[in-house]
This record gives sequence, C-alpha cells and structure tokens, in this order.
Amino acid sequence: MFQLTTRSLVRRPGGFLAGFLAVLFGAAMVMAFGSLLDTAAQPGAPESSVETLEVMAFVVGGWGLALVTFAVVSTMSLTVRQRAREMALLKSVGATPNQVRRLVVGETLVLALVAAVAAIPVAMALGRLLFAALEESGQIEAGMSHAFGPVAVSMGMANALLAALVGALVTARRATATHAVEALADASGAGGGGPLMGRGRWLMTLLALVATAASVTVTLTVLDGEGVDVINGAGPGVVAASILLALLSPVLLRGLTAVLGGPLRLLCGVSGELAVRNVRHRTGELARAVAPVTVFTGTAAGTLSLQRVENLQLRAEGAAILEDSRTMETMNYVVVGVIAAFCCIMLVNTLVSATAFRRREFGQQRLAGATPRQVFAAVGVEGLLVAGTGIVSGLLASVLLLLPFGQARAGAWLPDDGAVWAIHGAVASAALLVTLAACVGTAWRVVRRSSAVDAVLAA
Amino acid sequence: MYRVSREAVAGAPEALRLVSVTRVYGRDGADGTAVRALDGVTLSLPSGSFTAVMGPSGSGKSTLLQCAAGLDRPTSGLVAVAGAELAGSSEAELTRLRRQRIGFVFQQFNLLPTLTVLQNVVLPLKLAGRKVNRARAVNVLTRLGLGERLRHLPAQLSGGQQQRVAIARALVTEPEVIFADEPTGALDTRSAREVLGLLARSVRDYGRTVVMVTHDPVAASYADQVIFLADGRLAGTLREPTADAVAERMTRLGAWDAAEGADTLAASGAGA
Repeated sequence: MFQLTTRSLVRRPGGFLAGFLAVLFGAAMVMAFGSLLDTAAQPGAPESSVETLEVMAFVVGGWGLALVTFAVVSTMSLTVRQRAREMALLKSVGATPNQVRRLVVGETLVLALVAAVAAIPVAMALGRLLFAALEESGQIEAGMSHAFGPVAVSMGMANALLAALVGALVTARRATATHAVEALADASGAGGGGPLMGRGRWLMTLLALVATAASVTVTLTVLDGEGVDVINGAGPGVVAASILLALLSPVLLRGLTAVLGGPLRLLCGVSGELAVRNVRHRTGELARAVAPVTVFTGTAAGTLSLQRVENLQLRAEGAAILEDSRTMETMNYVVVGVIAAFCCIMLVNTLVSATAFRRREFGQQRLAGATPRQVFAAVGVEGLLVAGTGIVSGLLASVLLLLPFGQARAGAWLPDDGAVWAIHGAVASAALLVTLAACVGTAWRVVRRSSAVDAVLAA
Repeated sequence: MYRVSREAVAGAPEALRLVSVTRVYGRDGADGTAVRALDGVTLSLPSGSFTAVMGPSGSGKSTLLQCAAGLDRPTSGLVAVAGAELAGSSEAELTRLRRQRIGFVFQQFNLLPTLTVLQNVVLPLKLAGRKVNRARAVNVLTRLGLGERLRHLPAQLSGGQQQRVAIARALVTEPEVIFADEPTGALDTRSAREVLGLLARSVRDYGRTVVMVTHDPVAASYADQVIFLADGRLAGTLREPTADAVAERMTRLGAWDAAEGADTLAASGAGA
C-alpha cells in the first residue's frame, strides 16, 4: 500500500499541487506567528514586549490556526474527491475500504509533511517581517532580536499534519462509505448524491453560531460603553460570523442560484442555463470556492470598518491614544492582511484546481457545438454566482458585528460615516475581481490549449 | 477509388468529399519523428449512405474521422461537407461550421452529466441559437425508445440508453453527416445491435448520411459499404458487406501488413 502511495504522489505531482500549496501557506502562517512566542521566550526579553508578542501570537495566530485548519481540510477533500474514479477503480479490483483509507491518509500525510518542511524558510522570512513591523511601530522595545525556534516549528508541523489528517479522514470516509459500483457511477460526473451538508459540518456550523451569538451578546451587554475594550469582543466575532456563513455556503449558494437562476438564463442565454445547471448539480464542489470569498469579504470588510469606527471614536473623544489601542489596531490590520492573503491563495487554489479538472466537460460542451466564447461565458456566470454568494454572505457577516459594535462603542447602530460603506464596496469589488479572474483565466487556459477532440479523447 | 464511389452514386448529391487529405503528426524533419497518420486520402460519399471505416490499429481510422468532421485540421488537402469546404480560421468559426453540418456519436457517449436527456438533446440547437422544437426532440427520443426517460440524467441510464440519447442528439440538428467513432465499443452485444440498427434506420428513415469508424466486423456489416484503411491510405472497399466477408478482409489486411509492408498493401488493397 505504501508503494502505491508514493507512486501516485510521484507520478502525478500536478494533482496534488492545490493541497500542497494550502498546507505550505497555512503552515508558514502558523509558524510565523509561533516564532513570536520563540522571540518572547528568549532570556532577558522585556516584560511589556513579551506581553505584546504573546497577545499577538495567541489571538492572531489562534484565528489563523482555525482558518488554516478549515482551508486545509477543504482543499484536501477536494483533492481526494477529484480522484473519486481512481478510488472506485481500486475498490473494484478488490481494495477493502480500510486499504483505500490507508492510501488516502498515507498520501495526505506524506504530502503535508513535505509541505510543512518547505514552509519553514517561508515562515522564517514572514516572521522576521512581522517582528520588524512591531519593532518599527514601537510596540516592542528596540534591541530585541527575532527568534525562530522549536515553538514555531512544532506549532506549524502539528497544525499542518492534524488539519491534513482530519481532511483526509473526512474524505476517505465519504469515499469508502459508497459501494464500488455507486462510486464508479458517481465519478462519471453526475455529482449530486448525498446531503448538501454532512453532520460534521452542521455541528461546526452550530459551534460557529454559538461563537457569533456570544460575541454579539457580549458586545451589547458586558462591553456596552466600555470604550476601547469593545473591539476585543466584536473583532473575533467578525471572524466567527464569517466562518459561520462560510460553513453555510452550500445552502446559501443553492439559495442564490434558485433566486437568480431565471434572470441569469434570460440574460445570458444558453451559457447562463449551462452555468445554472452546473451550479445546481455541483453545489458542494463550488461551495468550496464560495467559502474563501465569504471569509475574505467578511473579515476584511468587518475588521477594517470596526477599526474605522474605533478610530473615529478615539478622535472624537480626543483621548490620548493609548499603547494598548495601538497594539490592537496593528493587530487588526495584521489579522486582515493574513486572512485576506490566505483567502486569496485558497480561492485561486480551489478555483484553478476545480476548473482545470473540467477539461473533459469543456470538451463535451465544445462537441455539442459550443464555441470557446460560450464555454467562457458559462464559466463566467458560474464565477458570478460563486462570487455573489460569497460577497453577500461576507457583507452580512461584517454588518452582523458592525451594528452592535457601533451601538456599544459609539452609541449608534448605523455608523454615520461614508468611509465605512466605501470599505465594504472596495472589499466586495476586490473579491469579485479575483474570483472572476481565477475562474475565467483557468478556463481560458484549459480551452485554448486543447481542441474539443483532445479534451474528450484524452479523458 | 474515387471513381468507383462516384459511379455508385450517380445522381445522388455528395455528402462528404475528401481530396488528398494528409495529416502528419509531429515535425516532418530529419529526426524522423513525424507520423503520417493519413496519406493522401481521396474519397466521396453520397448523401443518404451508411459507410463503415475499418482498418488495423494505427491505420488512421480515427484521424480520418476527426479530419472529416472538422475536429482536427488536415496538414494538407481539402474536406467538404455537402459541397461546403470545412475550413475556418478560428476555433469558433470551425465550431459554427460543425454544429450546422455535423453530428457526433462517440464511444464514450459524451453527454453532459448535469443535463437531463431532453436537455442534452436540444443543447446543440440552443448553442447554435436555433429555434428549439421540443415536440420534435421528444418525438425523436420516443422513436428511439426513450419516451419515458426524458427527465433522467445520463448517469441514471444504461450504456445503450445513453448511446441512444447521443444518437437522438445527433439527429435533432438534421446534420449533413453523422460521424460515429466506435459507437458500440462500450456496449454489450444486445445494446450494440440496437444502436447499430438505429444508425441504419437514421439513414433509411431520416435520410441522414452516417460515417462510422469501427473495428468490429459485425458492426461494419450494418453499413452499405465498408472502406478499409491501412497505414493512412485507402486499402479497398466492400459493398453490401457481411460480417464474414469483412472479417476475412481484415485478416488479410493484417497478414499482408506483416508480410509485405505498407506500399504493397495499399496498392493491392486499392485494386481489389
């Protein structure tokens, strides 16, 4: 079995690229923040700086950890699902479910290990940058030096391997629960089959809902009128609400497609119809691309506008800006930067690997008489639905926390400031642009590189 | 070869014509890596005919079909469908020519998995921006025995049923020529017989022209004539073929191939 594992990894590195990149960037992120703990643990580090470093590492790194886990699990299961046919073949030649599971888990662990090791140099550079930013803004005392050590490496490794393992187990369970014949039929591309959201996903949704609700409640009760502390309740709430809506993305995507299906078909003709059909049958797969759009839009728009309201309020109060609020501000920007970068990588990763996998389908459309332009148009409409769902739910997540925050911090539910809404618009446009570029760009590459017949005969 | 076909079809309009079609894969350089998959093939098929193309593996059957159907561009030579040259400067142009004049039936069906049977059948019309006559599509599907399956997805059908959907899809645009590439390759004997019967009926009842690539003598025996290919050249024809006659000819092609080489084979095949 191990031989099969290594052979399938070595022979087809392309198929594993998405998973590899997800683990690599995820591990790099976690390690970079972990290195702040290494730095703080150095002998002779000044007390105040240690605190700043630890807060930064735990709060930001903690959220990063949650996101990385989510992203790696999602990508890993995508990678394995794309090989559903191979799994089905293995079963039909006599592999037991246990053997298939061992294959998937073995592959994933080897992949995650390699990616996590490759992440170390990236994380060292990233950690140094982070440290330099903190030092420059005077939040830690000058004269300290950055350290990259055992805490960073062990945190990153453990996170990467655990997340990959969970992703592989979740998917392997799905792959092995079906009978060989069903698996072969399913792999023929009909999609569908099975509930939109599994039990595990509902459970996680429930947890995210509790976290969001708790954050809103705390902001409106305990922290109401507590000044600079309010943002400590609302900030993490933005991330929780974004994750909540990202978890619900299959349901939301289906809903939006049902609402917009008719108009899109009228507007975009046969391409619109192909796209709507495809989204309806592959909701689960496309929802994987919706999730990063949601998290990106929600966290970026939410955190930046919370910070905007906070800054306005500080200025209005005319208070001397405290060290604490400065740390908090930097931290918020770092959170947004980290999450945005990570989501972009995830989004492009997911879309590129999902679209590249559709070579045969595009070939079939071409054979049925679709011009390349009609194929791109269909992919574009799909991209619009994906981006639209992600943006709408991301903005919802942002507003969900922005309103209680406004009330608790500034005494007004709706912030009376154009910039707050401009932030929402800018973030939404960025999300739309990246999604469409990734979708249509990949489709263009796939369709241009092969004539209709190549695509079908190669499959 | 060309002369023979034309005599046979005196009066009938021409559905497909190939003139000196050559297809070379790879670079035709000193390194000798170039492969001449088709070597100066000239033929003419009358409208309303059912032709099988046969030959050993690597004889250029599939290349012939792909060039004739506008899926691949010949290195040199001319392809005309119903008198119109099949040449386009861009993929989009070629696609438009294809969807006006040509229908496809493939071994792997190539139905879109997310569309229902009926949607798959009317898709080419929609893509071409033509008026969709649903009643006609339903009628064709019903005649092909799929009247009860209009709302099924391809994955819910047997292989034979899926291939019948593919045939309905090829018929509904009323193309000049239907190209079938090993249409029974993935089917059991009984479904294969049904599919071949349907192809023959689409020639007889709907007046379509069918060109089918196959390696199965029984499948070839459903056609009006069989064209043999060897090493990218025509190697003879057989009219009113029976499975036995086709099999016998194939055996000889294989034997000659081994014993004498391509040139002798093509010459004697063409004379036969």
